[in-house]
Amino acid sequence: MTQWPGRHQAYLAIGVIILGLIMAFQITHMSAGAGYARVGPQFFPSLIAAGLVISGGALLLKSTRSLGHADPADLQGDEDVPAVPDAEWRGFILVSGTLIAHMALIGLIGFTLAAWLLCYGVCRALDTQHRVRDLFLSLGLALALFHLFRLLGVALPSIIPGVL
Amino acid sequence: MDALHSLFTVGFATALTFSNLLWALIGCTLGTAIGVLPGIGPAATVALLLPITSRIDPTGALIMLAGVYYGAMFGGSTTSILLNTPGEAGSIVSALEGNKMARAGRGGPALSTAAIGSFLAGTVATVLLTLLAPIVADLALKLGPAENFAIMVLAFVAVSAVVGDVPQKGFVSLFIGLAIGMIGIEEQSGQARFTMGVLELTDGIDIVVIAMGLFAVGETLYTATYENRIVSRIEGIGKSIWMTKEDWRRSWKPWLRGTLIGFPFGTIPAGGTEMPTFLSYSAEKKLAEYPEEFGKGAIEGVAGPEAANNAAVTGTLVPLLTLGIPTSATAAIMLSAFQQYNITPGPLLFDTNPELVWGLIASLYIGNVMLLILNLPLVGIWIQLLRIPRPLLYGGIVVLATMGAYSLRQSWFDLLLLYIVGLMGFAMKRFDIPIVPLIVGLILGPMAEKHFRRAMTISQGDATVFLTRPLSLSILSLAALLLVGPPLLRSWRKMRRPQQA
Repeated sequence: MTQWPGRHQAYLAIGVIILGLIMAFQITHMSAGAGYARVGPQFFPSLIAAGLVISGGALLLKSTRSLGHADPADLQGDEDVPAVPDAEWRGFILVSGTLIAHMALIGLIGFTLAAWLLCYGVCRALDTQHRVRDLFLSLGLALALFHLFRLLGVALPSIIPGVL
Repeated sequence: MDALHSLFTVGFATALTFSNLLWALIGCTLGTAIGVLPGIGPAATVALLLPITSRIDPTGALIMLAGVYYGAMFGGSTTSILLNTPGEAGSIVSALEGNKMARAGRGGPALSTAAIGSFLAGTVATVLLTLLAPIVADLALKLGPAENFAIMVLAFVAVSAVVGDVPQKGFVSLFIGLAIGMIGIEEQSGQARFTMGVLELTDGIDIVVIAMGLFAVGETLYTATYENRIVSRIEGIGKSIWMTKEDWRRSWKPWLRGTLIGFPFGTIPAGGTEMPTFLSYSAEKKLAEYPEEFGKGAIEGVAGPEAANNAAVTGTLVPLLTLGIPTSATAAIMLSAFQQYNITPGPLLFDTNPELVWGLIASLYIGNVMLLILNLPLVGIWIQLLRIPRPLLYGGIVVLATMGAYSLRQSWFDLLLLYIVGLMGFAMKRFDIPIVPLIVGLILGPMAEKHFRRAMTISQGDATVFLTRPLSLSILSLAALLLVGPPLLRSWRKMRRPQQA
């Protein structure tokens, strides 16, 4: 029973419900400030929190309809559960990793070097066939953007001011 | 004809200045380029340009952003016809027949009928916008806060119930957007909401971070995880780019029909261009002279949907300019561009900023001509863009996204937010949850709250005000009908089906 096809969508729906409950919890801790004509700053968020719980609940109901259809063959053409493509988590981890490295490093090594790393990381995540070429082209792209935006007056962090 | 008078005296006088022509050209060129490139759409591009446009005057900036919006629709058709991977939602249908035509060596006429149809539809729709907008604006002046709130509720319901495969997902998306919109200091009371004590969150989460996260980072994560192995083939233009006499004969009616289908759909909050393009496609299929050609490359199947697509984009400007209500993701981000200059789109805009409104509308006429030239004789340039290797393309998109987010405050915190929103976009794409309701909720939510409180203040806390005013009641009833109507209809059909069988 652990393999019912709607389970991923159901987890997501549960997540949405939890989000609504967290919101509701935070609303109860807001100081009841300038309530005006019975509508304080808590009122509208309360509606939204309720909406999250209700819409998440509706999605959960919809997902659990596939319960009992453990065999995916039963579900041909069932519009309740989207087909699951084969995932390659290597790509996901590489993109995530370079993004996190980028945010940690950009203040230290400047925009150009951090963007070079990021661009090349994404190229590798997407399984580029031309690793050496893309290494150089990523650097070129980062440098070109740095200088273009310097001319446009957008301040970007640099390790050697005005150059890199 | 007050409208025509204002268009020619104020509008073209503004739009035809050298700098505004230049902004229009930059916008159209940029729009076509990003429309051609898969992976980044008009909404993300407009969001990315927001920080840069804050330095130029509002009229020029909005003319440029409108050019991007328009141009992306023109450029998107090139990608779907030659590559069979639609760059944006409105071009999905064009890929059906257009790519088949290209495979049969008729890529040129397919591109032509798309570009000329888009031009024709865009121009006719702009005429309709010119005539209609002042009338709607006049009517809108009579709306009070209760009615405005009701219209926003209608927009929320329509966008969530109509877009995407199941309404449940639309509403999940909408409420997440509304919730994100609540983060930050609340204007009236100064109360910080949902900041969890994080100082950086008191200003709220910037639309640039949301749009870049959902569209650029989310898209890249998704491609890296699920679509790494897809290999696509670029088709050629074929013998000639131009259409034969026969092509013209078969195209002009679908162009006009597409325009008439597309424009009204743009003006109502039904989430943009997907619905009208599909409707136009099925209409052409039914009316076709040679129905057997459908599925093998019928020119009508490109001409109609492309016209519908562009007419719908122009149609979205009617509610945006006259009511301040966005009906698509790009329109929502355009609205935040107005807000950036402290300009509130709405009925008063035609009185307070006539140069801006009429200049913008006049620039649409000019932009359409520019786009026809950019996309037909110069189409060869854009085809070269299709040859950019995908890894580098996505690498560049992610770099631009991080740059947009970082340049807001020079803080790594926005990069963290960008990544978190990107994870959200990844999950939404994985589970087929539409993004449009989230963006519309995010931008309209705080405005809806403002109108709600204003209405409650006027009525001295009496919530029945929304139901006792006839117009507000009818708008809210319409919203309720949209909410409960389709499921009721479906279960009624289900009940009948077993009896018939």
